[in-house]
Amino acid sequence: MNAGANHEDLVGAGASAAAVAPLVALENISLGYNAASVLTNVNLVICPGNLVGLAGPNGSGKTTLFRTLLGLLSPLSGAVVRNCPLANFGYVPQSAALDPQFPLSVREIVEMGAYGRVKSFRMFPAAESKRALQVLEQVGMAHVKAKSFFALSGGQKQRVLIARALMVDPKIMVLDEPLSGVDEESRRSITELLVRLTRQQNLAVFFSSHDLEMVQRVADKIVRVDKGKVWVEEGSGCS
Amino acid sequence: MNEFFTIMSPSYLLFPALVGTLIMGLVCPLIGSYLVLRRTIFLGLTLPEIAAAGVSFTFWLQQTGVLPQFAQGERSIGMIGSLVFTFLGMGLLGYLEQRGKGLAEGRLAAAYAFAGALTILFMVFNPAGQIDVLNLLKGEVIALSRGELKLLAVVFGLVFLAMLVFRREFLLISFDRDLAFLLKGRQIIWDILLYLLAGLVIALGVIMAGPLLIFGFLVLPALAAKPLASRMSSFLLLASVLGLLMAFLGFYSSVRLDLPLGPTDVTLGCCLIFFAYGVSRISGKTRATFLALAVSAFSVSACGTRTTSLPVPEAKAVHSQQLWLAKVKNSSPSSLLLPGTNPLRSLAEMAGKVAPDYRQTVMDLLRENLKSELAKNGFQIALPEEKDARLVAFPTDTGATVRVARDGKLAGAIFASEIRRWEVESQKFVRVLVDFKLIRIDDGAVLWQRRIQGAVPTPSATNAGQASTDAVKKIVRDLFAG
Repeated sequence: MNAGANHEDLVGAGASAAAVAPLVALENISLGYNAASVLTNVNLVICPGNLVGLAGPNGSGKTTLFRTLLGLLSPLSGAVVRNCPLANFGYVPQSAALDPQFPLSVREIVEMGAYGRVKSFRMFPAAESKRALQVLEQVGMAHVKAKSFFALSGGQKQRVLIARALMVDPKIMVLDEPLSGVDEESRRSITELLVRLTRQQNLAVFFSSHDLEMVQRVADKIVRVDKGKVWVEEGSGCS
Repeated sequence: MNEFFTIMSPSYLLFPALVGTLIMGLVCPLIGSYLVLRRTIFLGLTLPEIAAAGVSFTFWLQQTGVLPQFAQGERSIGMIGSLVFTFLGMGLLGYLEQRGKGLAEGRLAAAYAFAGALTILFMVFNPAGQIDVLNLLKGEVIALSRGELKLLAVVFGLVFLAMLVFRREFLLISFDRDLAFLLKGRQIIWDILLYLLAGLVIALGVIMAGPLLIFGFLVLPALAAKPLASRMSSFLLLASVLGLLMAFLGFYSSVRLDLPLGPTDVTLGCCLIFFAYGVSRISGKTRATFLALAVSAFSVSACGTRTTSLPVPEAKAVHSQQLWLAKVKNSSPSSLLLPGTNPLRSLAEMAGKVAPDYRQTVMDLLRENLKSELAKNGFQIALPEEKDARLVAFPTDTGATVRVARDGKLAGAIFASEIRRWEVESQKFVRVLVDFKLIRIDDGAVLWQRRIQGAVPTPSATNAGQASTDAVKKIVRDLFAG
């Protein structure tokens, strides 16, 4: 099924497009770099409480889709409708994309999530520091708050980046390959965390992976991309 | 004399230079830290070179008459050139970066080479001011006036404040541009501001301290702080502290050992990097103990009193009243002629229009001063050339001096002096290296010797001739006072 065929397919379990206003909608967009399109006719609606997986092989356009959704890349055609400000998008990049040259502690990484709220000339508020600790506890990483971020394992880094995204006070979380380079134990704890965030906090979570089996197991809905085509499947997570 | 406390005294002649160096040592590493973290170290090397080309270019324009002579002096005009070239260079590099053609390192390397070549070419086009330009490019931070220090303090103070106030924005834009976009919107403003601050520091710093020292201050403390810091806040703090340490130790060593400031600071900065990597390999308690020991060792050496040199002995102490005062040998590259008393004649001589005939030299002046002071010490002074006209020059080596004296049938002792370096710098001080020896002719024993090396302050001098005269008097006074 082409993603352009049915918006309703992408509305998560327990929510209907009519009842809940979508947080973000991609309306018949083509996306790519310069004039070269990577994906065409993409339609997508994400509502609060949705756990949507984006599956496809490496180089299929998953990151391009994310960047377009986040406004980092303009669509070649069509429209991206966002019903919440960009500051409410909790973005979790691939940890390998961050430069290990920077001497940053776990706490400093998480506090970055509040930078949008703190004015330049002010000291970092105590309330924000407290909140940083809370989100670290939420992802089970409070015990490493003083450690160097780049000294952590792949799974720990991902959880810290999720904590940073939570620090933003997000309505929607966008995670780019959160399980790549992560051991089995961490994969399980991260997927549990994502499910918990959608079920308990009614956050919309949109994550990508090239591991289709895992996406099918976790997500309510699966957006599949391959060779320029986009289609939607049901995931077992919705049952 | 305790040099450490002398240097720290506000009345010290070079105090403005010390404060200027410390300000640069404090602020430059903050900018440099971002250059290091953003992997744009080459920019820190290229921009000072472009600024230097700007200085050289404006001096050339001034010499050709295109630009007027500014009452505020050479540095002001140089500063304008430095600023214009730095920002033009940054704009051009930014434009090429946007177009994304070619390697970033390749562009910076080409710009560095081009700017270096232009600096030399503009200097060659400007023969009248070659030495002045060269001095400015070497970075005469030591000649920093109080007015220039104020300007430096204001500009660098504003940069420091901006780095402090916008530290979160600079970190975010440097570390994660995507998150910066989501949280703060269009992020290019922070990039522009960061590079604007870098340009300001580099343009002003190059004219005050030279490209080498500025590049050193930008990059070396940050590289030394890197292995020791695991948090961004401590990294920035440590880089600034190490910059201060590098500035102070460099200045102190430069004064104490009479070394040029720029290369001394940069060498120390490189040593700090090795030291930091060494310390980073030591863990926990051992590290704290090691650092405490290093700081204590430095404090002891810095606060230690220098051994006092012995004064020229009295005649009765060397059991010889007869003293032959040899002509002062000039081994420096210049003739060390003092300006004549007639200013018009002096100017004409300098322009090569009038033959110098006879004019007093620094060597003559030094010999006159020595003669009167030695006489006060009870010596009977005689001049070797008056006994034998062939004894006008004595070799440098002690053995050869004794041999020549014996051949000339001189008896008693001989006082030999040699000027190896004599450079009048900005009339505020003269850099000297002069050797003195008192030798007994009978057995060739060196009864006393002394080397005077360093910057001799001449604060009240108004021209180069007066600076040399004042320096001679101070040297002779020091020789006899111990």
